[in-house]
Amino acid sequence: MAQLFLNGLVTGLLLALPALALTLVFGILKFANFAVGALLTFGAYAGFVANVQFGWPLPLAAAFAALCVALASIIADALVFERLRERGSITLLVASMGVSLVVENICRFFFGNAARSFDVTLARPIRWQGVRINHEQIVTASVVIVALILVHLLLTASPLGRAMRAVADNPSLAAVRGVERRTVARIAWALTGALLGIAGVLAGLDRAIDPLMGWNYQIPIFAAAILGGLGSPLGAVAGALMIGLAEEMSALILPTNYRQVVSFCVILLLLLFRTNGLFGAKAVRK
Amino acid sequence: MIENRETDALRVQGLRAGYGRGGDIVCGIDFAQRAESIIAVIGPNGSGKSSFIKTIAGLLPARAGSISVTGSDVTALSPARRVFAGLAYVPQEANVFRSLTIRENLKLATEFLRGRPGIGREQEERVLSLFPEIAARPRTLAGNLSGGQRQMLAFACALLANPEVLLLDEPSAGLSPKIVSQTMEAITRVRESGVTILLVEQNVSAALKIADEVVVLVAGRLSLRAPAKDVKPHDLASLFFGKAA
Repeated sequence: MAQLFLNGLVTGLLLALPALALTLVFGILKFANFAVGALLTFGAYAGFVANVQFGWPLPLAAAFAALCVALASIIADALVFERLRERGSITLLVASMGVSLVVENICRFFFGNAARSFDVTLARPIRWQGVRINHEQIVTASVVIVALILVHLLLTASPLGRAMRAVADNPSLAAVRGVERRTVARIAWALTGALLGIAGVLAGLDRAIDPLMGWNYQIPIFAAAILGGLGSPLGAVAGALMIGLAEEMSALILPTNYRQVVSFCVILLLLLFRTNGLFGAKAVRK
Repeated sequence: MIENRETDALRVQGLRAGYGRGGDIVCGIDFAQRAESIIAVIGPNGSGKSSFIKTIAGLLPARAGSISVTGSDVTALSPARRVFAGLAYVPQEANVFRSLTIRENLKLATEFLRGRPGIGREQEERVLSLFPEIAARPRTLAGNLSGGQRQMLAFACALLANPEVLLLDEPSAGLSPKIVSQTMEAITRVRESGVTILLVEQNVSAALKIADEVVVLVAGRLSLRAPAKDVKPHDLASLFFGKAA
């Protein structure tokens, strides 16, 4: 039980970064970005290249992955999303599915379908009060918590964060207050890309890297962001923790390969009873 | 009406604008405004008043014509760059960031305008002294303010940029009569601090009280320009409905 709780927390933290990325883009650019899974995969491969092919240590590889995915996101914005910005959220959503396929197949083209993994030495898990704690879990939890604190500070205490929240709140008013929407959008893409890159490396520690790995996370990520109320950063983190816990705890009553059912059920229940999510009453109304 | 080029704070020539692939809503407007004057733009519903002022602010792209502020052409600039050129705009109703606090709203008003002259502590003190009730509660969320208070906050934010020209879109919309007169009073105070004001207003009698001149817009064209004291509200009925061709 305690073991499942711990695993659930770490799974939830791993989901928190991409859920936050999804919700930030939704808040600022008003569409659900289906490319989160593929960008996460891309991050894992970028980390793999740095770690295995260049022989860099993992923290450096993660920084490299964050940079690569941030760049990829900016390129995707320049080539696709910015051109379609006035066309409405459905168009952007479908475009993001296209971007997702392109990114996924770029990964497949260069690395094939074979599963890869990082070059990390296996260490014996720590035992504490009968609970097994892996090193990967400690790394994941601490990296995610630091990243979340940094993003929180950025959003609440910096001019850039204020500008992002202003654009999310009322883009045309932001424009007449001197905030360039285009610049803010680019920075938001870079930030979400960096989050997805780091998440990709953490996901690659958790499981094998293959071109479809992002899809394992796609549904839980969406469930987490919707549960927290799309557009609400704190909500996304809380939603991710809840989804992570629910998925792991479901092992008590469900065979583990049915785990994803949990996320689908959460989305279904939310759509039926509480479309604004738990914390997002304000964010979604607009 | 277009003679004093140097003293005109705002000049618009042959301005045309519209939405999407639809026809022009603003159909070729020529207009010039003296510095430190208040001009009220009035007209029937759908006459293009709001679109006119949005085009000047840059939120609606101009299809033809030019806009200049204190002699410099701003037609090609983004809305954000126009603020830098001295043009401030207060939209109708959704005029503050509701999910941000008063303090954050005020900070954002100048944060991205570094380098524009006349911005800083002094301007902040001057503006907040015009709107004392705003300065008193910095941590309140702007969304929790009343309509009148939001309007004051919006004015304050626009003025922090030290604009030459202030564009107001229906400042009286959704306010009670008492608050409307306070708002109009605030507008005259703003003018006294040296700002040129162009306001779009449905509430004609309130606008006539504070404006120097009135411009009547019908079907996207200027159909009358006259000193406010010469215009009687009941004369306008024939203009609004008679000439709407």
